[in-house]
Amino acid sequence: MLAYILRRLWQMVPTLLGVMLLVFIVFNWVGGDPSYILAGKRLSPETLANIRTHLGLDKSMPEQFLLFVQQVLHFDFGPSWSTQQPVGGILAARVGPSLMLTGSLLVVELLTALPIAILVAYYRGKLVDRAVTIACTVAMSISSLVYIIVGQYVLAYKAGWFPVQGWDDDSILGAWLFYIPLPLLLGLAVSLAPSVRFYRSFVVEELNQDYVRTARAKGLSERVMLFKHVLRNALIPVVTAVTSSLPFLVLGSMLLERFFGIPGMGNELLLAVDKSDFPVIKAITITIAISTMVFNLLADVLYKWIDPRVELK
Amino acid sequence: MSEREILLSIRQLRVAFRQEDGGRFEALKGIDLDIPAHRTVALVGESGSGKSVTSMAIMRLLPQYGCEIDPASQVLFAGRDLLKATPAEMRALRGRDITMIFQEPMSSLNPVYTVGDQIAETLMLHEALSRSAAWQRAIELLQEVGLPDPEKRARAYPHQLSGGQQQRVMIAIAIACKPKLLIADEPTTALDVTIQKQILELLAGLQKKHGMSVLFITHDLGVVGEFADEVIVMRHGEIREQGSAQQVFEAPQDAYTRALIACRPSVAHRPERLAVIEDFLRPEPYVQPPERARGYAQDDAVALEVQGLCVNFDIREGLFRKRKFEAVKNVSFKLAKGRTLGIVGESGSGKTTVGLALMRLREVAAGKALFHGQDILAMNEREFMDYKRRIQIVFQNPYASLNPRFTVGSILTEPMQLHGIGANRAEREQLARELLDRVGLPARSMEKYAHEFSGGQRQRIAIARCLSLKPEILICDESVSALDVSVQAQVLNLLQDLQDEFGLSYLFISHDLAVVRHISDQVMVMNKGEVVEQADADSIYRAPASDYTRRLLASIPQGWSAAA
Amino acid sequence: MSANISMQQNSPAAAPPRSLWSLGWQRLKRDRVGYVSLWIVGVFALVAALVWTGLLAGNWNAEISEPNTSPLWVAHEKVAVTSGENELDGSTGPIIRLAAAEDPINQEMEAARKNAARYKTREIEKTDSLILGSDQRGRSVMQKVLQGTATSMLVGIFGALLSVLLGTLLGAFAGYFGRRTDDFLMWFYSVFTSVPDMLLLLAFAAVSGRGFTTLVLVLSFTSWTATFRLVRAEFMKQRSREYVQAADAIGASHLRRMFVHILPNISHLLLVQFSLLLVGLIKYEVILSFLGFGVGVKQVSWGSILGEVPNELLQGYWWQLLAVVLFMSTLVTAVSLLTDALRDALDPKVK
Repeated sequence: MLAYILRRLWQMVPTLLGVMLLVFIVFNWVGGDPSYILAGKRLSPETLANIRTHLGLDKSMPEQFLLFVQQVLHFDFGPSWSTQQPVGGILAARVGPSLMLTGSLLVVELLTALPIAILVAYYRGKLVDRAVTIACTVAMSISSLVYIIVGQYVLAYKAGWFPVQGWDDDSILGAWLFYIPLPLLLGLAVSLAPSVRFYRSFVVEELNQDYVRTARAKGLSERVMLFKHVLRNALIPVVTAVTSSLPFLVLGSMLLERFFGIPGMGNELLLAVDKSDFPVIKAITITIAISTMVFNLLADVLYKWIDPRVELK
Repeated sequence: MSEREILLSIRQLRVAFRQEDGGRFEALKGIDLDIPAHRTVALVGESGSGKSVTSMAIMRLLPQYGCEIDPASQVLFAGRDLLKATPAEMRALRGRDITMIFQEPMSSLNPVYTVGDQIAETLMLHEALSRSAAWQRAIELLQEVGLPDPEKRARAYPHQLSGGQQQRVMIAIAIACKPKLLIADEPTTALDVTIQKQILELLAGLQKKHGMSVLFITHDLGVVGEFADEVIVMRHGEIREQGSAQQVFEAPQDAYTRALIACRPSVAHRPERLAVIEDFLRPEPYVQPPERARGYAQDDAVALEVQGLCVNFDIREGLFRKRKFEAVKNVSFKLAKGRTLGIVGESGSGKTTVGLALMRLREVAAGKALFHGQDILAMNEREFMDYKRRIQIVFQNPYASLNPRFTVGSILTEPMQLHGIGANRAEREQLARELLDRVGLPARSMEKYAHEFSGGQRQRIAIARCLSLKPEILICDESVSALDVSVQAQVLNLLQDLQDEFGLSYLFISHDLAVVRHISDQVMVMNKGEVVEQADADSIYRAPASDYTRRLLASIPQGWSAAA
Repeated sequence: MSANISMQQNSPAAAPPRSLWSLGWQRLKRDRVGYVSLWIVGVFALVAALVWTGLLAGNWNAEISEPNTSPLWVAHEKVAVTSGENELDGSTGPIIRLAAAEDPINQEMEAARKNAARYKTREIEKTDSLILGSDQRGRSVMQKVLQGTATSMLVGIFGALLSVLLGTLLGAFAGYFGRRTDDFLMWFYSVFTSVPDMLLLLAFAAVSGRGFTTLVLVLSFTSWTATFRLVRAEFMKQRSREYVQAADAIGASHLRRMFVHILPNISHLLLVQFSLLLVGLIKYEVILSFLGFGVGVKQVSWGSILGEVPNELLQGYWWQLLAVVLFMSTLVTAVSLLTDALRDALDPKVK
């Protein structure tokens, strides 16, 4: 097990290097010379030259890349271009609210979508199943923006049941009880339909396997067959899919954060993109990439742990 | 006939499947059959005969949608009609009184539970045993079906067992509650001959010991001869003949049954041509053709000489590590011109890899293959191109070996175009039509697609594709194994005709010892990548030199006549 | 058992030859939901084509009506509107508007307004009977949403095409050749999948500005990975299938085996992948344009219309929202149902 994890960690090195190369190419090559953005309206040759020296833009491309790799290794991306605060500090403050929102969303979504999916798969081919499947398709066809815009307008602005937006920096519990519920509800509304369809497909796929026929030939009831034999197999892809979707926890539900003024990573990213604040975007990208790789590894380890067919090599 | 106690009888069973184009396919056209108590009944038929549908109808496991059972149909078991039983009544019956085993043991077992759990589950359900008592009984059952070290095996997951062991576990589940009827649906088709023999013996032994009835469903008449008490022959959803095994094998009344018995190649004799079904449907009686002499002389001209052929596979483990697996170890042979060399072996013997390596479809680690004095394995792609044309291959699966997006016409003209045979398109198409005629297909097949043909017809197209290049050597890699017996006989006859006409040399690779004996002049036996024995076809079957060959020959189903 | 059923009458008698595509087409026609969806998608495509050629909704930018006229069929709604405007005072909308100096489109807006002012003088009379009402500048919502339909579809279609092309090409080489080629391309793939789609989109958007071409390029650069994975797996599977080995045996070259033999056999999967991507990219386009990183300021798309909605809602003008939701969900539902139908109809196994 340990050898496997170590080998997988070792395999992450080239990927991480690739991500750094990608980020570097996007921001230093596709993006052109960022010193114009920094200089703003005070566009004199001296300030431009100063900024270039400061950012290391006067060095050759390989040297600049090495500089960037050093930044990543020390996790020091310098100050934000718009606020001049260190990027590391900004991100550290943004992770909490994001995790609070998306963490609770993940739990609530699993607790609702999974039972619905199993129920629908149990009645596969019958009216309930067809109705739910069609309803999911229609629900998925409406842009997530519409759910959020209308939900915020109707439930918060018109009905006044929830605060329109805001955040409580001082009390976690206060923020959770007061500001999280509406975004959570709307997040659920957006993600329920795709999740139900996704989980249903896993269960239905298992129902077509030969061992289901064996279970019936043994005289097991449909219920035992579904909950004992099929579910255990269908949970394997569910668990791995959920685990590898975890990095989105860190990124948060960007749109929800923006609409409801939640100071999370997603909101920070949108602000940074608005203001061309490259250090922040780079730092977020690298952070998310690393966490994606780690969670993918976790998903694989979990997969090997719950599926007896896969043996650790 | 003595007094028979009837356990299960089927009356006027009619099953139809709705097809998506709105049509109906009649899978069973009103069949009647009886299964006596304490007897083994074999249900024999080729694909599409409806034999599996019959077994699923007894178990009431036919799909819920798109399947219609005629209301007048009856499946009477111990005095009641199973087709009218409630789902709860059926569940109480399944797994206790009527049990079933299937063709693919691996996928039929649930991969995430131990085999002990899966046996104990049945016992806890039907016998109301406690968990520990059921587990104890599961171990006894594993012992009974002949699994070594049952205490340890009970805790194993299905994938940790071999195919034969998995089928033993399925049998343990099936006999756990001492059923009155065990239905075995092609239980040995996916297994090697030696394993097949063991499973058949186990089933026969258990049947006697527990006095249950067995409904044994198979496509292979040879398998049932040894232990079936009664035989039912089905074709196209109808019963052609039923009776005691002795009667069906010794004095078959139905022409189709007679054909089925005659068209299977046997180890005992080798007719010039195999019988086909049409031979028996004619009014005049079928006359057994004379025997064909086989064999080769030391001074025969050599078409292909292989020396010290080795093929390794790299099994990748992780990013950098590799493990070497020796698939073929130091294989040498000479293929005589205009003759057939049969290569036999069980799965994993490396026989198929030899064929693919000679086509340069697998990378070769060492060895030479001399063809017209040149080592074709040492050539580069450009040099080999000229030789490639002269060695062709016919694969096992007729459904996978033809490109489904090509018309038959383009399948046949593409090789000619690539090798510059025929001056223009019209000429190549003319050649293709002649080839189709030669393999017995109408010229209008040119515009059709592969999926519009049956398995045997597709294999004829594949043979025609090879012939389009006018090859000298034809490698037949399990080319008739996937075909029904009656179709297999036709294709074997075709191959024989082509050899006689064009002087082709065949490398005939198969797991089926009877087929190899029928078609081969020389035979080479392989096991675990090595050559066990090679000799003249007749002598190897008469006096095998190695233990392995003897074991292999002993596993061949002997059929009725040998057992009588 | 399914083998038994499919082994029906196989005699190639007098029946006309049928390719897999024509069989799939027959099956699709029998699938009522799929067939209706196909027609809906067809109508949308026709509308989009008419809009691109300027035959339809070419005049969308003209201010042909009073601002914020309600749709024809709710004429009396006007009263409610004014009360809505009163309510607005003092309340803060959820979207923070940019200051005029910071607003990148301010100049263009000014120019547009001046332009519009010129036209106004020539306008004879303003209609107040528009089927879907008008927006804050008095433009027909119907024409605007048709224009938006065309833009969103064009972005989706070109983005999905480019993405499928990229994914197929890379996937074909990785899956067919394996070994080093595969190692390298898999590395490339793992780099792109380490960064979530939306993040990658925004990173590209941050450096590349906005506009139609940029949007299409950015969308396809971030979305090729799913096609890559599919095609790679298919090529690995098909490469060892017997018809490909047979092609090798008759002397077909690597490229011929890859693109003449294997590619047609996964073409149905590519079609399904294309329609999946079409839906996905349309949704991404809507979000990006809403956030202001999408199409150019002079173009209108569903996303940019939705961008006006939050403020309008506060004033009680709901018809632009309705129009976009109506058009978008009809198209996306139709494409999704069509995708499901195609998947079933084109699967060569279900014969």
